[in-house]
Amino acid sequence: MLDPVAQRYADALFSLAKKSGVLEEVRRDVARLAEEVSQPGAGAYLFDARVSVGERRKRLDPILSGLHQMTRNFVGLVFDKRRESLLSHLGEAFHRRVLDERGAAEGLVRSARPLGAAEVERLANSIGSKLGKTLTLDNQVDPDLLAGVRVIVGSRMIDHSLSGRLNGLKKRMLDAPLPSLAEG
Amino acid sequence: MDLRPAEVTSILEKEIANYQGESSMQSVGTVLSVGDGVARVWGLDDCMMNELLEFPAGVRGIALNLEEDNVGCVLLGDASQVKEGDQVRTTGRIISVPTGPSLLGRVVNALGDPIDGRGPLSVGDDDYLPIEQPAPSVVERQPVDTPLQTGIKAIDAMIPIGRGQRELIIGDRQTGKTALLVDSIISQKTTGGGDPEHPKQVICIYVAMGQKQSTVVDVVQKLEHHGAMPYTIVVSASANDEASMQYLAAYGGCSMGERFRDEGRDVLIVYDDLYKQALAYRQVMLLLRRPPGREAFPGDVFNLHSRLLERAARLADNAPQINPRFKKGGGSLTALPVVETQENDVSAYIPTNVISITDGQIFLESSLFNAGIRPGVNAGISVSRVGGAAQIPGMKKSAGGLRLELAQYRELQAFAQFGSDLDKATQRTLARGERLTEILKQGQYVPMPVEEQIMIIHAGTSGGLDDVPVGKVQAFEKAFLQHMQDSHPEVGAAILETGKVSDEAKATMEKAIAAVKPQFV
Repeated sequence: MLDPVAQRYADALFSLAKKSGVLEEVRRDVARLAEEVSQPGAGAYLFDARVSVGERRKRLDPILSGLHQMTRNFVGLVFDKRRESLLSHLGEAFHRRVLDERGAAEGLVRSARPLGAAEVERLANSIGSKLGKTLTLDNQVDPDLLAGVRVIVGSRMIDHSLSGRLNGLKKRMLDAPLPSLAEG
Repeated sequence: MDLRPAEVTSILEKEIANYQGESSMQSVGTVLSVGDGVARVWGLDDCMMNELLEFPAGVRGIALNLEEDNVGCVLLGDASQVKEGDQVRTTGRIISVPTGPSLLGRVVNALGDPIDGRGPLSVGDDDYLPIEQPAPSVVERQPVDTPLQTGIKAIDAMIPIGRGQRELIIGDRQTGKTALLVDSIISQKTTGGGDPEHPKQVICIYVAMGQKQSTVVDVVQKLEHHGAMPYTIVVSASANDEASMQYLAAYGGCSMGERFRDEGRDVLIVYDDLYKQALAYRQVMLLLRRPPGREAFPGDVFNLHSRLLERAARLADNAPQINPRFKKGGGSLTALPVVETQENDVSAYIPTNVISITDGQIFLESSLFNAGIRPGVNAGISVSRVGGAAQIPGMKKSAGGLRLELAQYRELQAFAQFGSDLDKATQRTLARGERLTEILKQGQYVPMPVEEQIMIIHAGTSGGLDDVPVGKVQAFEKAFLQHMQDSHPEVGAAILETGKVSDEAKATMEKAIAAVKPQFV
């Protein structure tokens, strides 16, 4: 789930970093920040309304000191604008922007049994060419599918699983017109 | 109900053989929040407006709000089955309802699923039509010029309704609005003998929105009892259905009617009632967080009703050449929307909206109803803006006098209450008015053929009733019409055929009045 505000901040940071030629450093910083923010308990000290903003910002200092100046500026701006809550979505939003820039997309392929690396890649290539993107697929095993695969990229899904087909058949059979009943 | 397992098996066999797994790319989303029959869904990138969505456990929904980061949709089924995090799929279908002759005689819900326990409908994929369709354009229409007889004297004489017209029926609760609708539907039996195959038979659709289920059952039973069900479809979204179903029922019913209209048939659709529909719409829109306006109705509540009622039309004879969507020209869809008022206040928001959309209104007043004038039509403020052209000439002539005399009567009525000395002319106007009012009273479920209406109104306006005591006018009416039928059936037949009342017919009627009167004076 993406917060549109976080996406706007991430886009700004991304384009500035790209212009200044420090994209790689900033990307690493953002990943580091995202990891820190997603730590259990991090929310308690970062987003606690009972603690003043300055205090909360100081708590990030140990991590910030190791980061690029641009990232530090960014975090400062976020706190000044009282948008610190978007830090929890920043990693995801920035990652999305990076993928967009490369014309890449990430997806998930669920299958009833683990797929081989070659199979995943063939699938990724053929679906990726349809979407016009370089697709990277992550394989997840889901025995409930019975057989076949279900690929999810963003909000698109291609269902080629046996369980999906059986469900479709079940629905069709329930919807089938039954003349003998209608006449009765 | 006869269930034949062998036949069912063979149908299922066919379904299995022809089953093609969907391998196309689908748009999916995740439920963010659900409550009060409304869900917010994240994802669904290619979702269309009004698209049917599929939730797990067979619950369906409609996408109504397409926002930057989520889709707001209303649920059309049991909302308690939907959980946060559930996967939602688009179906690629705009919400549609089954249409066609197999719906006749059935009771269906807002989505066209039968709810009368008489088994599924036999409809194919082609029979499904979207519930929202554009109204016929200017060139595809022709003016309203054919009467739609309701069989109710007060309406056919004074507030005539033409085929393709939209006439509002407005009044407080318990003023006989539904009774009037049911009578109008029953009266359509005369157009084609109640045989839905007959090309002249007017097809009727009764859309009940937010009504008590007991009322719907009552209506269906009355229609069945009077043989009106074979040419009628009842669309019911009663008070316990989801609010979304209650406001969609009108559009679904309209599409079912349009199917017949586009095939060249005449259709009568009644919406009972649009005030409750607006309430249901308000509920859904507020839950979807659309900004509220006057009386907390959303800003498009006027459009809600105007786009529905615009679909009532009389199609031009050459409509199929202009738009292939119409299979045959000349059909019509007549709409009788109902609006319930509070304390006779016609200047409230929804009533004024619908009054301005429709081509006239029939105002039912509780004071008249309670005074025994039933139907309690207030002839003073009821109008029909196009119906005048849609009266047969004979009726137009006799009814013209009726309107005038009743207007004079109402004006003088206030004086009459002083009981003081009134001059002769005033007394005569009052006496005439009382008798005409008596003539316009009519029982329920007894629609009257137009030729009989003309005869009794002629008797009243020609002064033939002036010396019959007011209390005996109804008895006289009965005897007079019986006498006309027994002794002079040719008069009624001639009126029906020519549409006019000839001088000979008038003379015959005078004679009949004179013959019947002595019993009552």
